[in-house]
Amino acid sequence: MESIPLTWEEVARVYGRKIYNFAYRLTGNPDDAHDLVQEVLLRVHRGLSSYQPGSFEGWLWRITRNAFLDDVRRQKRRPTSPLPDEVDRWGQASTESADTEYARISLGDDIQKALLELPIDFREAVVLCDVVGLSYEEIAKAVAVPIGTVRSRIHRGRKILKELLT
Amino acid sequence: MIHPTEQISAYLDGELHGQELTRLMDHLSRCGRCSADLEQMQFVRSAVRSLPVLELPEALIPEAEPVVVPLRRHKGMWAGVAAAAVVAAVALAAIVTPPPDEISLQQLNSMVGARSTLDPVFGPAKVSAFPVVEE
Repeated sequence: MESIPLTWEEVARVYGRKIYNFAYRLTGNPDDAHDLVQEVLLRVHRGLSSYQPGSFEGWLWRITRNAFLDDVRRQKRRPTSPLPDEVDRWGQASTESADTEYARISLGDDIQKALLELPIDFREAVVLCDVVGLSYEEIAKAVAVPIGTVRSRIHRGRKILKELLT
Repeated sequence: MIHPTEQISAYLDGELHGQELTRLMDHLSRCGRCSADLEQMQFVRSAVRSLPVLELPEALIPEAEPVVVPLRRHKGMWAGVAAAAVVAAVALAAIVTPPPDEISLQQLNSMVGARSTLDPVFGPAKVSAFPVVEE
């Protein structure tokens, strides 16, 4: 049986790190991730009193992704900016050996940059799956789409990532 | 030939079952293109999962319930509790041990007991009962 956190402080302690990692990988920016976590915790604080027992994590991730999408809409901008020291590295892949290339794309910065190139729907699905660790069913509930759509978004997102990373 | 591309990621994520799984396995055994696709998807999936887990910034971690507040930062009722604890600690030390020339903050902490396990998720808190407070 799922235990339900009683206070927003407990939500912050138990889920804060996951929310922060989700936010960081979606935005690529520590300041934006920080603001997003604060907004999520604020919404949790407001919403806990009216929370109906059910899937707490589903409820929490719905709040989290809605906060992210609201922020994207509000700012009317791409949610990220390129990392300043990364710009030239993306044109070098064709001349590298396989080992060197593997070492290069093993760097978190490159993977992060590739994630930010994904359309938001694909990025969200990939991050919820591979960073947060949700099942397809959990993602479907959080994002409010059929499981088949989740499956498609994750695969298409990975296909784009593959093109960007090689 | 129809290539079940979207099922490849689902298979890697353990989200493919029953007949879908059987059909994909059969297809992979006969299709070099999808086998290569499987390897590529496996690589991308591993790459994203290899991203380091970032710690929540301390500013976002709610403070645990205060046991005792710093001596010179009076915050409501806890200030009285802190002062009383100091008096009790010093008095106890005077009875049990010969009076030292000088009692350090570390000694006070060891006498009264520092907060140590308030946060079950993020580990022991880093503040002691009587932290050094800068004037």
